[in-house]
Amino acid sequence: MAELLIKNACVIDPINRINGEMMDIAVRDGMIVESVGPAAAVIDAGGALTLPGGIDSHTHICGTKVNFGRYMSPEDMRAGRTTRRGEMHATSGYSVPTCYGNSYRYSAMGYTTVLEGAMAPIGARHTHEEFAHTPLQDAMANVLFDGNWGIMQAIRDGDQDRVAAIVAWTLAAAKGFAIKLTNPGGTEAWGWGKNITCINDRVPYFEVTPTEIIRSMIRANESLNLPHSVHLHCNNLGTPGNYACTLGTFDLVPDLNDKRQTLYATHVQFHSYGGSTWKDFCSKSEEIARSLNAKPQIVIDMGQVMFGKTTTMTADGPMEFNLYRLHHNKWSNHDVELETGSGVVPVTYRRSNLVNSVMWAIGLELALLARNPWQCILTTDNPNGAPFVKYPEIIGLLMSQKYRSKIFATVHPQTEHRTPLQAIDRELDWYEIAVMTRAAQAKALGIIDLGKGHLGPGAIADIAIYPIQIKDIDPSKEYEQVIRAFQQTNYTIKGGNVVSRNGYCTGTSHNTTYWVKPEVPAALDLDHDPEFEKYFQLYTVRKSNYIVQERALHLNRCIETEASL
Amino acid sequence: MMTVHLEVKKRKNPYIPIEADEIIPKNFINKDQELFVWRGNRKVPLEEVFLKRIEGTASYAKEIEIVITGESGRIKRVGEYMDAGAILIEGDIGMHCGNFMSGGTIEIRGDADAWLGREMTGGTIVCRGNAGDYCGSGYRGEKKGMRGGTVEVFGDAGDFTAEALAGGTIVVHGNAGDLCGAEMKGGALVIHGNASRVCGNMSGGTCTVYGTVADMLPTFAYVGTTEDPDSRTALTEFAGDVANRGKGRLLVHSFIRA
Repeated sequence: MAELLIKNACVIDPINRINGEMMDIAVRDGMIVESVGPAAAVIDAGGALTLPGGIDSHTHICGTKVNFGRYMSPEDMRAGRTTRRGEMHATSGYSVPTCYGNSYRYSAMGYTTVLEGAMAPIGARHTHEEFAHTPLQDAMANVLFDGNWGIMQAIRDGDQDRVAAIVAWTLAAAKGFAIKLTNPGGTEAWGWGKNITCINDRVPYFEVTPTEIIRSMIRANESLNLPHSVHLHCNNLGTPGNYACTLGTFDLVPDLNDKRQTLYATHVQFHSYGGSTWKDFCSKSEEIARSLNAKPQIVIDMGQVMFGKTTTMTADGPMEFNLYRLHHNKWSNHDVELETGSGVVPVTYRRSNLVNSVMWAIGLELALLARNPWQCILTTDNPNGAPFVKYPEIIGLLMSQKYRSKIFATVHPQTEHRTPLQAIDRELDWYEIAVMTRAAQAKALGIIDLGKGHLGPGAIADIAIYPIQIKDIDPSKEYEQVIRAFQQTNYTIKGGNVVSRNGYCTGTSHNTTYWVKPEVPAALDLDHDPEFEKYFQLYTVRKSNYIVQERALHLNRCIETEASL
Repeated sequence: MMTVHLEVKKRKNPYIPIEADEIIPKNFINKDQELFVWRGNRKVPLEEVFLKRIEGTASYAKEIEIVITGESGRIKRVGEYMDAGAILIEGDIGMHCGNFMSGGTIEIRGDADAWLGREMTGGTIVCRGNAGDYCGSGYRGEKKGMRGGTVEVFGDAGDFTAEALAGGTIVVHGNAGDLCGAEMKGGALVIHGNASRVCGNMSGGTCTVYGTVADMLPTFAYVGTTEDPDSRTALTEFAGDVANRGKGRLLVHSFIRA
């Protein structure tokens, strides 16, 4: 029995409504318990801020397109090198680091759980292998369904049960966690050299619209009782005037679940643009936030852009092609079987660039204008908006108007005419930051019941102790100390083991992959369905080779759900 | 003025590479500063590889000359990030000599290995012998190569000379290898000898070849003939690379189509 007692912790645990109480946390066998015996190991937190382990609910750190980003950018691999140290492996890379690089840097920031935002089903095996080498975080992956031929055909035929059946089969086959829709229909249209500009365009051949895809997938998601909601990257990312499309998408979403949201809209910053061209490009964050505030059934994440070099990578192939035409930088586009596609383009966001400056402002505005922090999650869509190592700076910006003004003075001078940022004086408090960096993620992903994201008895002992005394500090003035504290924990504890101490990580941990297996009625089990087999004649691999076996996974935990079909 | 003599000691295994990026003039202003080099995967004091002798004193980097003698052909990264002063290499020098240098002078009496003056922004490099591949280019994945300064090679230069050249001047008195000036974005490349398949995908800058270009790329538009004012040689002028809507100038004495 391994026991641990954390003394004098200043705890913020939003799920248990604890706000800055001094308390002790007892851990036994990786779980939080009421009390431990006198022989327990003791960590004295000394009044430092103690939060549940951080959760990133949308990041790209493992999988085929991440790897493509790695090997098309040798200059990025040179940008962030660390040498081997004790049990730590050597790492390299800045915006797309090696697996261990990601794992150590997340862990030093107190993150213990990550969700890979987009996994092509056929790239699942690779993704899971990389999860196995991301040792300090529990992982899960969204499975891409945006251009799935079987699903689009079923939607056209009006066969909702079949949509749910294909989702259930694919999630279990790919060992995925949730449904991801990236520019629904758009990637398929891109295969025909076209794109989808908004939710009522028709996908070539299949003649379905994104509206139908989104509605149908939401219904399938709820009928399969999946822990997470549909995870949507809206159509028309990154084009001036796309906010109207985003508002239209939000209006499609019914409120179907009382435990969590019905739609998770990701990196909404990239979908909140006004204007008609890049010349009159402006922020529409107020409209988006107003819609969000009126719809508790939606949760968004920021997709904050920070200045500097990074790599964009998404399953949204046509958008990456447009980005290539804008930058004339190196570029990759992939067509991934009958399911989805992808694109990778390295970019640099510059303060001197008006568009980039407005993008930077929009992300912050969304977080500040969203009234309920449970509805707006802190992300950069790593690495699309910025590498995740910038999270502490974003926390600083959200907590301090002074810091925002200081940075605002350095961006393009026209920015103030295009964005409302300078008129917003809200400064988030510690509790709201704790919500936006772990509690809201746990709720949105539906993993509170698994013991994630909180510190109540029965929870998994994922704990981050930050070197800062919140009672002695005014974050609106001393934002630099806040940033420094969030960059490196004193202790990051995962499953009851200290995995990172002052930035020094231990290479050994037992990370778990969470995946979902929906139980469907026998009539909807596609394992022996001849119609479904037909698709695999068009695939490069056979159906049996396509399935990721459980033994190919690292340590894993299967979440079985009972479908109501 | 100060002269730093660095003589490479005889080595048991001369094939183990040495990385000596700390050999730049400004590191010798303080004579007692401990300097290190990497030998294989080990970090060792500079004195373990070099016999060091210092004459005179200096308070600025520009007053310092470093003279390297002995078997220096496998010593890499000499003069990396150098900003002032001078380095004289009596023999050959290894890869990555003068990486990112912004000022000062490097003279190499022998041959230089690959990546001579890669991504440098200023200063002068003179190589009396031959230069290896990728002279004045950008490293793997980099969008811009050399951005300023001058590199002069009196012997031959290897393949990919001046790849992604963005500024400054590279002069090769002998022949250059294959695919020189690929991805050129600016600056000037002058080759007095022959070369092949020059300036693929160039978008800016000027490349002049006084010899013959073998396998001339088809994606260059003929502009006319001009006479070179210095050498009174007739040159054929091209614009391109048209495949990339490039605005570069390519002047060649003669060429053979692929």
